Amino acid sequence: MSVRVQLPPVLRNVMGGERWLEAEGQSIAAAMQCLAGRHPALGLHLFDEQGALRHNIVFLHAGAMIRAKQAAERKVSDGDEIVLTNALAGG
Amino acid sequence: MPVSIVVGTPKGAAILKSGDRKAWSEDFVLQGWPVTASVRDDKGRVYAAVNSPNYGVALFVSDDLGNWKQLESAPRYRPEDRGNPEHHRIVSQVDFGGVLKNGGRFVDQIWTLHWAHGALYAGVSEAGLFVSRDHGASWQPVDGFNEQPSRASWTPGFGGLGAHTILSDAKNPDRMWVGISAAGFFRTDDGGKTWAPKNKGVNPAVESAPATTGQCVHSVTHDPSNASIMFRQEHRGVHRSDDGGDNWRVIEDGLPVGELSDGHRCCFGFASAMDRKSGNVFVVPLDGDNFRFPRGGQLAVYRTADREHWEPRTAGLPNNYFAGVLRGAMTADQNGGIYFGTTSGSIYASNDLGESWSEIASGLPRITSVEAFAS
Repeated sequence: MSVRVQLPPVLRNVMGGERWLEAEGQSIAAAMQCLAGRHPALGLHLFDEQGALRHNIVFLHAGAMIRAKQAAERKVSDGDEIVLTNALAGG
Repeated sequence: MPVSIVVGTPKGAAILKSGDRKAWSEDFVLQGWPVTASVRDDKGRVYAAVNSPNYGVALFVSDDLGNWKQLESAPRYRPEDRGNPEHHRIVSQVDFGGVLKNGGRFVDQIWTLHWAHGALYAGVSEAGLFVSRDHGASWQPVDGFNEQPSRASWTPGFGGLGAHTILSDAKNPDRMWVGISAAGFFRTDDGGKTWAPKNKGVNPAVESAPATTGQCVHSVTHDPSNASIMFRQEHRGVHRSDDGGDNWRVIEDGLPVGELSDGHRCCFGFASAMDRKSGNVFVVPLDGDNFRFPRGGQLAVYRTADREHWEPRTAGLPNNYFAGVLRGAMTADQNGGIYFGTTSGSIYASNDLGESWSEIASGLPRITSVEAFAS
């Protein structure tokens, strides 16, 4: 599956200002693995030392909020858009 | 002589530039990233460390302080390295769902960067030392330090278990020092293979830790070309060593001494810096660990010229000022200029070894690191 991933503002300056990136994969987690392989600098921010998606990362996909620990089970379809963001707190 | 200053804040880095150290330009780069440390290498390239509770740590590099590019590698522990639960507990307070990180050891902040003998070093929390011998393209853990035999007894300070100070000996590449809050000061004499605690003469701040590794070092400064004479701002006062850290003694004549939360009396503070040409040393005392702001609200830098007695220097510094100065937030450009930043976002500079000060930037976020590079 080919999907588009929207980066949060702070990660765009890692990618030269790019807002959207193309990725391949059957799930959100697989799409993130794809991005980390293509862009190692970005990969540092997506996966921790244990190889897990950083647990503060949140995805918005097809009207649902997906936590990092759910990303492997969340299947994607060709042409889907995924918003990559992070957990927020405060008011 | 032109000077550039990299000011780290939780929202990015201010870049201050001046040709005469009187008029300053200001830019704000790496916006959105907490910038925790910076250093310049032998080619004039500047490295800035960033960290985020959401997106981890990384290093950006720049040749002109205007255009920055992130490196593809950063200090990282191995998946099998085990972490310190108490450090994880402190970090997880701002780390949603951290849940003690599953016991793994993680780099959650680069506290300091250091360039010496052709290598780039990073001191990190959870406390550790990493080295890059290819200008940041790849990083290796310094296992002799990271697995130092006393590690199990290392106790985090208020900000976690951080290796925040790295010093080197210009004449001896095999000798280096690293300071950790709150495990004390360590030295290697064999190029990093083994490290020994160097805290003799310094009162432990952590009652439950062994007497050799319970010291809460806040910062240490020296001249790498005369490396064995060292000045140490400790949680429990200001100390000096004349033998590379083997022995320490309190030197607080002229410094404001106050009471700590445990009743101990000493000069509390975080930052220290040295002007290598004159040998002058500077500290910014705070009113104990209860208040952590300048005593009576008078922001004051204390200077020693004879390296035994201190004198306050307040010309140009504000009164009614209740912000602090953090451990990484004071530096010298080694051409007579001294600079420090405050937790209320001001940068103060002196062109005359601290005799007088002026505010050269304000309105910045809390300042966590200051480095000055004369060109």
